[in-house]
Amino acid sequence: MSRQLTFKIFRYDPLQPEIKPYTQEYQLEEASGMTVFIALNLIREKQDPSLQFDFVCRAGICGSCAMVINGVPTLACRTLTKQYEDGIVTLLPLPGFGLIGDLSVDTGKFMRSISERLQAWLEPKDHEVDIHSLEIPMESEEAEAIYEADRCIECGCCVSSCATAQMRDTFVGAVGFNKVARFALDSRDSREVEDFYHIIGDEDGVFGCMTLLGCQDNCPKDLNHQGQIAYLRRKISMSDRII
Amino acid sequence: MQRIKLRQAGWLDRWQSLSGAILAGFLFIHLHLESSILLGKDAFYKVARMLEAGFLDPSGHGYPSVIVVFGLGLFAVLMVHAIAAIRRFPTKYKQWKILKEFSKTVPQRETNLWQLQLVSGFVLFFLVPVHLLGIVMNPGSIDPNLSAFRIVEQGFGFLYMALLPVAVIHALIGVYRLAMKWFGDKLPREKIFKGATVVTCWLILLGTTSLIVWYYTGITSLPTPLTPYSPL
Ligand code: SF4
Ligand code: SF4
Ligand code: FES
Repeated sequence: MSRQLTFKIFRYDPLQPEIKPYTQEYQLEEASGMTVFIALNLIREKQDPSLQFDFVCRAGICGSCAMVINGVPTLACRTLTKQYEDGIVTLLPLPGFGLIGDLSVDTGKFMRSISERLQAWLEPKDHEVDIHSLEIPMESEEAEAIYEADRCIECGCCVSSCATAQMRDTFVGAVGFNKVARFALDSRDSREVEDFYHIIGDEDGVFGCMTLLGCQDNCPKDLNHQGQIAYLRRKISMSDRII
Repeated sequence: MQRIKLRQAGWLDRWQSLSGAILAGFLFIHLHLESSILLGKDAFYKVARMLEAGFLDPSGHGYPSVIVVFGLGLFAVLMVHAIAAIRRFPTKYKQWKILKEFSKTVPQRETNLWQLQLVSGFVLFFLVPVHLLGIVMNPGSIDPNLSAFRIVEQGFGFLYMALLPVAVIHALIGVYRLAMKWFGDKLPREKIFKGATVVTCWLILLGTTSLIVWYYTGITSLPTPLTPYSPL
C-alpha cells in the first residue's frame, strides 16, 4: 500500500476576479517514480478538470512546467514526489510573471521582450555571405561554451528565484545575462565589450544584480550563473570607460 | 545623457564594493587592536601610541591629530559607501510588499541575508557616525583610563554593545557577497560562506570579551581624579 500524498494547490482564475485566490487540497495515492507533473495530470484527469497548468515535453526540455514546488521554483516534470518525506506538496505559480490561471503563467511574453531588448541574436561580422566559400571552423572549446549557455530552456525559474527581479521588473535577470554571454562568447558575432556594455552595463543589468544567487541555486539546467555574472561584471567593468 | 547614466551604474557599483571592502578590512583590524586591552592597560597604551605615530615623536607620545585625520578619512569612505548603497534600498512601498511576500513563497538563505543587511545597514547609518565623531572630536582620548571611563561612566558601552554585532554581521555578509559578486567564477561559494561565518563568530567573541574587560577596568581601576594612563 503506497502512501497518500496531499497537494496544496494555488487556485485563481483572472477571468473570474470575483473569486479570490485560495488554496485547494487534493489527495492522491503515490505511485513509484511519480513526478509532480504525473500527479498533476492524474488530478486533472480524475478529480478536477478545471485545474490549469502547463507542460509539453515532460522531459525537462521545453521549460513550460516550471512552478514553485514547496518553496523552490523548479520543473514539475523533473521533481519526484518521493523526496517529500511528509507527503505534502505545496504548489504555487512562478512569481514575477503574468498569471494565466492556477499554476499556469505567461513566461513567453517576458522572454520575448528580454530577447528583443538584449538583441539576443547573432550580429554577423560580414553580412555578405558567399555560399561557395568554406565555412570557417570554430574551436571546439568555443563551440562547447556556446552550447553550454544554449542549454537554457527559458523556464523562468531564475527570475522567480531572484529578489532583485521580483522587485524591479525591468531587471534582465540571469536568463538575460546568459543570453548576452552566449553571444559575447561567439567569435562570429561582431559586437565588442563596449557594445555589450550598452546592453547590460546599467542598473537593469549586471550592476543591478545584487548577487543573491537564487538563479544559481534553482536553475534546473544547472547553468553556472554565479560564475557567468561575475565574469560579465568584471569584463564590463574593465572596458576602458570607467573609474 | 544615457551615456552618463550607464557610466554611473558601474561606477556606483564599484565604489560601493570598494568602500565596503575598505570598511570591512578596517573593522577587522580595529577590533583586533582594540582587544589589546585583554592583555592589560599597558598593551592598550602601547597600541594607542603606535596609532598616534609615537615612533615619530621624540617624546614617544605621538600626535592625536593622526587619529583625527584618519577618522575623517574613514568618515568620507563611510559616506561614499552609504551614498552608493542607498540605491539598493527598495524605495517604493510596493517593493517592500513584494519582498516580504517573496521571502515567504520562495524562502531562501540569500534573500534573508540580504534583508538582514538592509536592516543592519540602516542601523549603522545612524550609529557609526556617533561613534566615529565621538572619537574625532575628542583627540587624545584613546587611552586605557579615558576609554574605560567613556564606556562605563558615559554610557558609550551601550553604543558599542549595539554596534558590535550589527557592524560585524553587516560587514561579513557583505564580504561574502563581494567575493561572489566579482569573483564568483573563481571562488568556492560554500567555503567562503563558512569562512565568513567563522570570522563573524570570532569577531563577536573577541569584541564581547574586550567589552567585558573594559567594563571591569572601568569599574575597578579608574584613578580619581580621572587622569590619562601613564606607564610606570
Ligand atoms: S537560466 Fe536556467 S532557470 Fe533561467 S530560464 Fe534558463 S534554464 Fe531556466
Ligand atoms: S545573482 Fe541574484 S540578483 Fe543576480 S540575477 Fe541571480 S538571483 Fe538575480
Ligand atoms: S514539461 Fe517540458 S520542461 Fe517540464
